Amino acid sequence: MTRTVVRPQWVGELGRSFVTFSAALVIGALVMVATGRDAWGAYRTLFAVAFLGAQNLADTLLAATPLIFTGLATAVAFRAGVFNIGVEGALYLGAFAAAWIGFTLTGLPAGLLIPLAFLAAGLAGALFMLIPGALRAYLRVDEIVTTIMLNYVAISFTSYLVNYPYAVPGLANAMSPKIALAAQLPRLLPPSQLNLALIVVLLLVPLVHWLLSRTTLGYELRALGSNPIFARWSGVPVPAVILQVMLLSGFIGGLAGAGQVLGVNYRFVDNFSPGYGFDGITIALLGRNTALGSLIAAVLLGALRSGGATLELFVDIPKDLILILEATIIFFVTAEFVLTFPRRRHAGVH
Amino acid sequence: MQAFTDLAFATLRLTTPIILAALAGLLSQQVGLINIALEGMMLAAAFAAVLGAFYAQHALVGVVAAVVTGMLVALVFAVFVLRFRANLIVAGLAANILALGGTGYLLQVLYQTRGAFAPPGLRGLGTVHIPGLSQIPILGPILDGHSPLVYVTWVLVILTSIFLNRTVTGLRVRAVGEQAEAATTVGIPARRLQYGMLLAAGGLCGLAGAQMSLGNLQLFVYNMTNGRGFMALAAVFFGQAQPWATTLGSVVFGFFDALQIRLQTTVGVPPQITQILPFLSIVVVLTWVSWRRYRARPVAA
Repeated sequence: MTRTVVRPQWVGELGRSFVTFSAALVIGALVMVATGRDAWGAYRTLFAVAFLGAQNLADTLLAATPLIFTGLATAVAFRAGVFNIGVEGALYLGAFAAAWIGFTLTGLPAGLLIPLAFLAAGLAGALFMLIPGALRAYLRVDEIVTTIMLNYVAISFTSYLVNYPYAVPGLANAMSPKIALAAQLPRLLPPSQLNLALIVVLLLVPLVHWLLSRTTLGYELRALGSNPIFARWSGVPVPAVILQVMLLSGFIGGLAGAGQVLGVNYRFVDNFSPGYGFDGITIALLGRNTALGSLIAAVLLGALRSGGATLELFVDIPKDLILILEATIIFFVTAEFVLTFPRRRHAGVH
Repeated sequence: MQAFTDLAFATLRLTTPIILAALAGLLSQQVGLINIALEGMMLAAAFAAVLGAFYAQHALVGVVAAVVTGMLVALVFAVFVLRFRANLIVAGLAANILALGGTGYLLQVLYQTRGAFAPPGLRGLGTVHIPGLSQIPILGPILDGHSPLVYVTWVLVILTSIFLNRTVTGLRVRAVGEQAEAATTVGIPARRLQYGMLLAAGGLCGLAGAQMSLGNLQLFVYNMTNGRGFMALAAVFFGQAQPWATTLGSVVFGFFDALQIRLQTTVGVPPQITQILPFLSIVVVLTWVSWRRYRARPVAA
């Protein structure tokens, strides 16, 4: 008698992500060997710097913190089939809003100031998404193009703010005034800069999971993501769901900015993000657009990021290698040939 | 008057890479594929152009290297999208990240620099002077004295228009874009046409990259395309993938690009504000186009 082994879906998904990650490492190794670099040494250093020792681990989690935020922000949108590329812009506006609260309302106690700064950041991010969200939901303007364009607008706008109205004279780089001491998030494991923002985002993970799996909005956005036509005919208010998803995505993206300002920089620094928002795309994909998956993927990418800087300093390998790894991961994770070859065969084009 | 001709001259120059990339985007769109990878193809090509022109001491070699590199990136993108059924948008983003990381990595491994790479003795594309053209008032100073690729670009716009509207292959391409399954049923090799158009797109982006690093400037800068590929994509959406309308969109966006540089240098508007102009103009224009389409939509039964 044959028995069918029923594996839960996530086992396959996890295996897939693992294969993807390994494939990226192999390609990265080929690149390094081809350019005369010591690949084995690089990966050993990378692993040691990322995971060995409490401080190293703390630095990895520090690098992962904004990525978990942006991963979640992207995942909720992608899950609904909305290709929101604008998390980077939301992050910038959120960061500035948090900084503004932090250096303006200096009289407030920490217990009030910190939640207020996070809230302002989330609202700034959501407000930013209102534009592409409403355009997509009600006028069907393609959200990919508008969010990419509005990212540039948001980054330039915040740059203007700290170069002109909120410029601090005498500083070499453009940045806002420093936030009040009460607004600064406590460190978790000094001397590492790892801070309370990690706890905030770790609380957000189950919240997003609950929202996706247990609420009406979650059901509707998943329905929309898996089959928009079916969703519409079964009564999902498509435009309203798209708008809500965009606002939610922007809100979480804004929180990411607040985390960096309140926890790490203590100011808004011009052009501070090395692309946290765009990394969210990689993370959401690698995490299969789930909350828990995003968490794991963000820690992996955080490890790469935190190790990347060291690679450049000690092993003479440009940190752009990390971008090559990331691109490979994205290519492989979206391609349908790893482990799931016979699953879907449709003749159509996208 | 001088200000006007200067601005028009700059618009024509800065518009060229956007038009080329937009032609690439529209050929992809015509076979039903939104091409997010324009940016990456341009960037990789701009890098290859400088390398080729520098080592061969000849700008033409740089242009060839750029076209080949653009097509290589396009091939990777095409194989993942068409063969391995990768998501179009996601694979496009991956191609862009690969181009950014790849050029950045090579820049540092080969030349130990993170910013600009301007090897001494690099030959640019130079400028073309058409006899008699500069004598014509107003138009002369605007049209004369550009890099050869500027003129090639306008020929390519005409050729693309003829190709899509007047040739059998062009007709088939449009059929694939309309309904790939139906096109396949009547014997049109849809898959082959999709590969072909994506490779052509890579070549066009190669020219766009060469114009950026050998025409407009004679150097390569890390991430020098800085959103031009996405501007081109927006132009495709604006022009609904029709050659002349898409070109018009590119010129509009190129104009705002030229205007922002001019406002920065003359009026003293903060650069951060003027840099917003081209991107904001794209959002406004796309909204306007969609609003008109929305108003003109057939009333649902």
